[in-house]
Order: sequence, then structure tokens, then C-alpha cells
Amino acid sequence: MHPFTSFIVAVFLLLLIGLLCLTTRRNMIRLLIGVEILFNAANLNFIALSIQRAGFIDPLGQMIVLMAIVLDGCVVAVGLVMTLNAYRHYGTLDVRKLRRLRW
Amino acid sequence: MINIPIPLLVLLLGGGVLPLIGLMAERLHVKWLREGWTILIQALALYSVYPLYREVRAAEGRILLKYLPGGAPPLGGCFEIDVLGVYMAGCISLLALLVAIYSTRYMEHEGRLTEFYTLFTLMNAGMVGVAMAGDFFTLFVFWEMMCISSYVLVSFMKHRPGPIEAGFKYFMMSATGSAFLLLSMSLLYGMTGTLNFAYASASLKAVEPTPWLLLLFTTLLIGFGIKSAIVPFHTWLPDAHPEAPGPISAMLSGIVIETGLYALTRVIYLTFPVSIFKPTFAALSVVTMTLANILALLQSDLKRMLAYSSISQIGYMLVGISTGTAYGLMGALLHIFNHSLMKGLAFLCAGSIVHQLGSREISEMRGLGRRMPFTSLSLSIALLGLGGVPTTNGFVSKFILFSSAIGAGMPILAVIGVLNSALSMAYYLRVIITLAARGEASAEEAPAIMVGISLLMALLIVIFGVWPQPVIRYADIASKCLLQGVGRYLSAVMGP
Repeated sequence: MHPFTSFIVAVFLLLLIGLLCLTTRRNMIRLLIGVEILFNAANLNFIALSIQRAGFIDPLGQMIVLMAIVLDGCVVAVGLVMTLNAYRHYGTLDVRKLRRLRW
Repeated sequence: MINIPIPLLVLLLGGGVLPLIGLMAERLHVKWLREGWTILIQALALYSVYPLYREVRAAEGRILLKYLPGGAPPLGGCFEIDVLGVYMAGCISLLALLVAIYSTRYMEHEGRLTEFYTLFTLMNAGMVGVAMAGDFFTLFVFWEMMCISSYVLVSFMKHRPGPIEAGFKYFMMSATGSAFLLLSMSLLYGMTGTLNFAYASASLKAVEPTPWLLLLFTTLLIGFGIKSAIVPFHTWLPDAHPEAPGPISAMLSGIVIETGLYALTRVIYLTFPVSIFKPTFAALSVVTMTLANILALLQSDLKRMLAYSSISQIGYMLVGISTGTAYGLMGALLHIFNHSLMKGLAFLCAGSIVHQLGSREISEMRGLGRRMPFTSLSLSIALLGLGGVPTTNGFVSKFILFSSAIGAGMPILAVIGVLNSALSMAYYLRVIITLAARGEASAEEAPAIMVGISLLMALLIVIFGVWPQPVIRYADIASKCLLQGVGRYLSAVMGP
């Protein structure tokens, strides 16, 4: 087995978990966590692929992951603010209650 | 010497200073300071696109490569500016300037204006960055900048539940799209060892399709497709665009989704052979325009109808992109410019109506043509343009798009497109008839600045409708960048 096969399997599992979380969960915080899992799947993929060449760790992939973590931190911060505002309006974190617009 | 494109530098610095300017305006009670600053920044950005234009047009197919000192490509990020990038930057800055002037009156009575103008400027900076990025990572950073600003701007009116709900939905879908974009970046990186467009293109363009390549294509399509509202991923748009404040709807529908489409086109044309994506895009364009037009027919809310119409226009642009010929791409680029004017104007007029009338229902707008003659006139011109009536610029670009489909051996796309255009006239005309009918809608004409901008844009639509040659010529050169110009795009980074 190639050494990074296990990483790739983990990436696909994370992707599946993230998508499942996004489609089945109804709690807004959990949806945010689902997005975060998707981002982390991509980050893990970067790291896994940056060590695929034997005996050489590519700094490019690692650098990009560092920046990507900062970026998805920003994204999730905005998401949390929106969740907070939604909670103030609706008094619940259940997305099924956000039904004033036609989905 | 900071070696980044000047329009981008202007927008980033201007946006960064804006909070301070806003603080000053509040402390010193200077009216119009931040508004004036925003307009100045946008005007400077538009003005500084011109030197770039002169530079790229100085020689045939010239490409400017800009990067920060010490970060030379392929490892560092870079900006690669060709005619196409300058074209997009021009479209973005033109619409942003008009919208900035409009929003000074529209947003007058809202709070938190400093935040509004800062985010507005940074959103434009993000879009200009996307238009000029020379590697995937630079593109991603500016992409996120544009996305994050637009999430907040959509739910800017946070005292009402509608914007919050639409904003959250937009956020969830768009953030998922960004995650898929990052995943596609990692796949590209795994396959080629680089994120630079030129190097990736050199190593992938001629490769036989493998499962990994198809996975890369799919993730790219999901990532960019969500932002540009291609049909299976469009569901956020009809909520987010109507709930945003008027000027922001105009920006979002007018240019933000087109920026997504531009990025998709750029990456796909650089890394894949035409035969892979041609059938997919053709199918997506048919689904996108048909479904969006049918759904638009059912709407009773003016802004929501316009939002669905944006999706269908994306479908028309996809027709041009799926042909894979320079003529079709030229039509798509021309339509991006024309649509930014038409849909921008339509949303600005809808904004004026909402501002004065306080309702978005089309049925309550009976007789508005007599109360708000100038706004109604410009809205009618914009809607006729969107429907593709001759003497408006929408006709020119649609004509090119559909004839390019016939030229590329896909007459079925042209037939479906023309049928869809006819179908779309049904709901555009319904609005125009309602505005012109007798009725007792009571509203004053909008403030002079808002009316002035609307009339100016309506004039531009007609001018570019009867005299489209300059834009066509420019779009023609820009479209060739994606086909014949790929070689030059590569050698600008990799050396001859």
C-alpha cells in the first residue's frame, strides 16, 4: 500500500462526514461544524499530497494550509455572527424554523 | 516598490483607510466624508485601469507579470494581467463607481455606514484580485475576500429577519463552495505539484482524462458553480439577492456572479481540453436558462423575479462558454459587460422603487409610471435590454451568443436560447405593463442622484446597443486570450 493511501481515505471519510453533517443536521452550529470539517478535509489533502514525493516535504502545501486555516477562521467567524443574529430573531438554532423565505 | 496592480492597490488601501475616515466623519461631524472617499476610491480604481489597458495593448498579446519581491512564481503568488483581466477589472470598476454614487442617497438613513462602505470597497478589491490572479492561491485569497464581504453585505439590514435568513443560507452554500474550491486546489496541487496557472496548464492541458482529472473538474465546477449560480447550485441566489440592500443587489447580480463565471472559465480553459467540458457546459446552460426562466415567470416579487432572471442570463453566458470558440467566448464576455449594465440598472431601479414605495410586489406598482416617470423609464429600458430587444445592448450580445452556438455545431442550444428569450419577455413585459397601467400607487420620484445614475445607465445601454463596435472589438481581443493566447500566458511565467 502506498504510504499516503491512508491519508486519502481519511480525506474522503472527512468529506463524507462533512456532507452528511450538512445534509442531515438541523442545528446551525452543527452546520458550521460541517463546513469546518469540509475545509479540514481539503487541508488534510494538501498536507498528504505535499509529502507524497519520497524524502521531500514540499513547503508550498504547508504554507497554503496555514493561510487556508486563517481564511476559514474568518469564514466561520462570519457564520457565527450570523447564527447569533438569527438566534436573536428566531429564538432558536433550528434551521427548519427559518422559513419566512421560500427555500 | 510594491509591485501589485494599481487598481487593486488603490482599492485595498482605500478600503483599509475607510474605517479611520469613517471615525473622523463621526467625530468631526463631517457629512459626506466617507461617501466622498468611497466615490473617490472607486473613480481612482476605474481611472487606474486605463494605464493597465494601455500597457497590455502596447504590443500584441502582452502579459504583465507582477509579484511581491522575494516571491517569484511558481512558489510565490503572482498576478498575471492580460487583456481579459483588464476587461473584467474595467467592468467591475465601472459598475462599482455607478453603484457607489447611487448608494450615497439610498443608504443615507441607515446606520453603520462606515462598515457598509468598507465592505463594499473590499468586495470590489476581491473581485479585481480574482480577475487578475495568476495562481490559484492568490485567486482563492481574493475570492474569500469577495465572499466574506458579500455575506455580511447581504445580511446588512440585520434588524429584519429576511436578510439574516437569506444571508445564512447564502453563507452556508457559498462556504461549502469555498471548501470544494480548496479541495480542488489540493487535487491540482497533488497532480502537478504547483498552483501556478501557467505551470498547471503546461502539465495538464494535453493529458488524457483520468478519474482524478474528472474529480478535479467536478470539484472546480461545484466550487465556482455555487458562486456563479449555475442551476443545481442556484438555490441561494433568489433569496440572497432580493434581501440585500438595493445597491448590493445590483453589485451581486451585476458582477459578483459573473466574476465567479469568469474564474471558472479562466481555470477550465487553462487546464482542460475543450472536449472534456463542452458537453457538460452545454447541458448545464440548457438546464440553467430553462429552469430559471420558468421559475421567474411564477414570481410576484420584482427583485426576486430579477434574481431568477440573473440565473437565466448566466445560462446564456454558459452557451457562449460551452462553444469553445473565440466567437462564443466573445459573446459571453460581451454579455458580462452588457449584463452588468442592464441588471445593475434593473436592480438599482427596483431599489429606488422599494425606497419610495416600500413594497416589492409587482401588483402594487400599478400606475407607478406616472408617479416615478424617470425610474420607470429606465427600468423599462433595462428590462427590454434583458429580454434582448434590438437597439439595446442585450440584443447584440445575445445575437452573438446564439449565432456562435450555431457556428459551433450546436444549433439546439441556439433554438433553446431563442425560445427562452421569448419566454423571458413574458415576465419583463408584465412589469412594464404594470408600470404603465392606470392605478393609484402613491410614491414620489426618487432623489435626483438615484434618478441621474439610472438615466445615465439607461443611456449607456442604448448607446452600446446602437454602437457596440468598441466593446465588441475589445471583447474579441480578450476572448482570444483564452484560446490562442494560452501559449503567451505560459511563457510569461515560465520563460520562452
